[in-house]
Amino acid sequence: MTSPEIHIQAKNLAKSVKVTDGSLTILHDISLTINQAETVAIVGASGSGKSTLLSLLAGLDIPTSGEMYLAGQPLHQLSEDERAQIRAAQVGFVFQSFLLLPSLTALENVTLPAELAGDRQARARGLELLQKVGLAERADFYPSQLSGGEQQRVAIARAFITSPAILFADEPSANLDTATGRKIEDLLFELNTQQGTTLVLVTHNAELADRCQRQLRMQAGRFISNTEQVVAHVG
Amino acid sequence: MWAKIAWRLFWQELRRGELWVIAFALFLAVGSVVSLSGITQSVKSALAQRSAQFTAADRVLRSSQPFDQRIMQLAQQHNVASAQQIQFNSMLFAGEAMQLVTVKAVSEQYPLRGTLELRRSADISKGAAGSLVAGEVWLEPRLFSLLQVEPGSVIEMGVSRLKVAGVIVSEPDAPLSVFGGSPRVLMSLDDVAATGIIQPGSRISYRYLFAGSQAALTQFEQQSGPLLTVHQRWQEMDEESALGSALDRAERFLLLAGLLGIVLAACAAAVAASRYSQRHTQAVAIIKALGATTLQARLIYGSHLLLVLLFSLLLGLAAGMATIWLGQLGIGYYIADYQSEFSWRPLWLGSLTCIICALLFAARPLWRLTQTAAIDVLKQPASQWRFDVFQIALGAVAIWGLMWLFSGELVLSIGLFLLCGVFALLLLAMAALLVRLAKPVAAGQSSARKLALANLRRRLWPNSFQLITFSLAIFLTLLLYFLRAGLIEQWQRQIPEGAPNQFLVNIAEHELVSLQQFAEQHQLTLTDFYPMVRGRLVSINDEQLQEEPSKEQQSEQRVGVGRELNLTWLDRLPPNNQIESGTWNGSARPGTVSVESQLAERLQLNMGDKLLFSIGGQEVSAVVSSIRKVDWNSLQPNFYMILSPELLSTFPATYISAFYAPAEQSELLNQLARQFPTITVLTVDAIIKQINDIIDQVTIALSFILLIISLAAALVLVAQVQATLEQREQELAILRTLGARYSFLRNALLLEFAFLGAMAGLFATVLAELLLLVLQQRVFNMPFEFHYAFWWLGPVLGVFCVTALGWWQLKRLLRIPGAQLIRRVLQG
Repeated sequence: MTSPEIHIQAKNLAKSVKVTDGSLTILHDISLTINQAETVAIVGASGSGKSTLLSLLAGLDIPTSGEMYLAGQPLHQLSEDERAQIRAAQVGFVFQSFLLLPSLTALENVTLPAELAGDRQARARGLELLQKVGLAERADFYPSQLSGGEQQRVAIARAFITSPAILFADEPSANLDTATGRKIEDLLFELNTQQGTTLVLVTHNAELADRCQRQLRMQAGRFISNTEQVVAHVG
Repeated sequence: MWAKIAWRLFWQELRRGELWVIAFALFLAVGSVVSLSGITQSVKSALAQRSAQFTAADRVLRSSQPFDQRIMQLAQQHNVASAQQIQFNSMLFAGEAMQLVTVKAVSEQYPLRGTLELRRSADISKGAAGSLVAGEVWLEPRLFSLLQVEPGSVIEMGVSRLKVAGVIVSEPDAPLSVFGGSPRVLMSLDDVAATGIIQPGSRISYRYLFAGSQAALTQFEQQSGPLLTVHQRWQEMDEESALGSALDRAERFLLLAGLLGIVLAACAAAVAASRYSQRHTQAVAIIKALGATTLQARLIYGSHLLLVLLFSLLLGLAAGMATIWLGQLGIGYYIADYQSEFSWRPLWLGSLTCIICALLFAARPLWRLTQTAAIDVLKQPASQWRFDVFQIALGAVAIWGLMWLFSGELVLSIGLFLLCGVFALLLLAMAALLVRLAKPVAAGQSSARKLALANLRRRLWPNSFQLITFSLAIFLTLLLYFLRAGLIEQWQRQIPEGAPNQFLVNIAEHELVSLQQFAEQHQLTLTDFYPMVRGRLVSINDEQLQEEPSKEQQSEQRVGVGRELNLTWLDRLPPNNQIESGTWNGSARPGTVSVESQLAERLQLNMGDKLLFSIGGQEVSAVVSSIRKVDWNSLQPNFYMILSPELLSTFPATYISAFYAPAEQSELLNQLARQFPTITVLTVDAIIKQINDIIDQVTIALSFILLIISLAAALVLVAQVQATLEQREQELAILRTLGARYSFLRNALLLEFAFLGAMAGLFATVLAELLLLVLQQRVFNMPFEFHYAFWWLGPVLGVFCVTALGWWQLKRLLRIPGAQLIRRVLQG
């Protein structure tokens, strides 16, 4: 089991997928611990296994072998729905391609996780968060009516609505121009600091990675830097 | 909270218009089932009512024993109206004159259906209207000259003296047989006892007449079972009448056509639901990643289907009811005194169909959608059509279930389903083969054709499925076109132009020459004169026949015809008669008889059997030498028994004949009646008009079915094309980026649909031709004909419809500027 201050713990994680002629191992023997309120960047080239690792850490997927604990819960032993309940209570997401529901307005997208968790104050909280990300006046806009940067701000507001203990971000600024990307990163770190959230982000942007307290470098499904060697950098 | 999310998503989806295809498909299914079932029922009920007007009741119970009060009481308990009627033959005396007549004595409530028209005169066109009261009798027109009486005269019947009140203009249950019998007399049932005619052993026919709602009648009929004896039997509708067999065909046809329309609509719903699910895969992955459980996803998306289902169901039921109402208005216009009856059957049948279509066609894709894993949020959404064996199995079960539900015949539904299954597999294999063969063919073609064929090949499975539905749609159109044209043509053939509409009965031998002269003088074409002698079939091969079925002797003794037959003798075979077995002898072989095939079957007659007839107390024996099939729909004089001339020519005979006279020549008919007072003229114009009216009704119903099927087929095409919209958008964006010109893309698109349409048209033609082979021979009893027109009509229809619909759907994609298209694709 994990100690209370350890938020995420992976022990000898491996992930293989079936291919036409056998199976392909994407992750090999990954072990790590991430403490409460820590900011961690998983970096590496495309195809190094960063996103697969993120999906295992967040409980979106389960490992082929090894153990995975999130907020003290053994994700590797839980069903899809049990993991969904843990995500609803503990986890927030920011994706590279924003992944807003096109049928819902900005406000409705923001309140979605809170409503799924049964929060009756979702609307007020959603408006407050939209205010924080500077989109209060666009609350009733649909994603198609918003720019890429605005969509990602909505996604960040959505990620924080349930006040998650852990936030996972997958290349949050990769689809944006440099200036907008920078603003989004600032916003992400600002809200993260305000809410004391544990942040795990996947990026190949060295500048963004440098803003995290710790970097884990991956290559061909393995950590290549000493995972406990931290390049401390207060964001 | 899930309900709030579900409602928001649903509302947006409705505004985007993508659930409308499913909604419209389900609406079409409910609406068409409710309308078809309702209108079929209304037409059936109208015909039953019309038929009731000819029997003066909804149900008739015949009996050879006096009335049983318990049966009447039971009817009263079930809220069923009843009347009594007895018929017997008796001699009527008026001074020196006497005449054998058929007396019909009726109770006060008679008739329960139809109208009785009596006039206080000897002429049917003059005098005040009258009604039946005790102490009076009403006579058939010819009796006035036969008995030399007039209104006010007194006649004697048995030991009673009764006053002649006037003439019978029309009675609803007058015998439809143009051969007539003894002249008819109508009197009150209350006067019968006083005549003293009814004695033990008298030949009396008792009839109970009943009328009421369908439900009440059915219940009454069931409960009256234990009260009935072997002497009582329910009178059945004459299924051999033109109307009876036409209705039978119409019913099968409506069911068949309706069913195929539903299958098309259900396919459209399945395709639309698959597309809807495919488009929402990422949304489900997102909400699951954000913490939604599978149950929540199911509630959210299941409620969408439920809302669409409820919406379509209510709207479909309302539209169906409105169509039934309109149909009933139309029927009321054609059939006087038509009383529409409300029935729950169309409503539950429509609702059940809608639920089956929604659950077995549309629910599966949504179920699969909610099984999307959260991890899919990090994957590219699949745009390829996924082959789902379970979905196909569910669809097949649904189609078979609907076939069974509509036809009510297990064997027929299994047969039809297997046939459809075999053809679907055959089409699939042929489509796959053709599309694969397209590759080498494409090598030598222009770029646009190459791209069109490549597109067909690449979407092999979806294209094969499209091909099947396109084929089915065109096939149905061809089939309906043929059946509609063929069926109506056949019906109209039943009443050929100039068919006899006036029948002359009771022509005495001495009147033949003068009648022929009258006809020539007025340019009337008389049919042949058929001599007629009434006689009773007494025994077969010396075996005595029973008059009525009885419990004790049922297994040992054959039951006879139960009434006098009209016997004739002819030298040559009448038109509309076909010899089924034996040979037609005419006068060549004395002592023989030719028997109508259905009567021969009922009496279990074989060639060479010896029949003994009793004619006016004398016995005549004849050997069966041929069995004939008679076209009862021909409106020509027809006979059950035709004897060789030497057997009957010594008996005093009357003759019958017929001719055609247009309605405007009514004065001619009056002149004929005055000149030949003892000849009875029977006008069948009313019957012909009613058949024509029914044909009009059925034509409207068939056009309605064509409309439903065309709509369903178009919906399938729209749903199919929409299903490939995103993928096509991507491809166009790539081709545009690579510099493809508008004309090139347009030609490729048009050619792709034209190829698909041509293939579908060709398959549909083969399918239609094969099915017609079965239908014509097994269902509609028509001879098989090869339909040359189908072989160009099918492919042309396919190319035109599929290309036009495809182009209509996709032309806006081609017109989107390249840059905008690329941006849309990149934004997802």
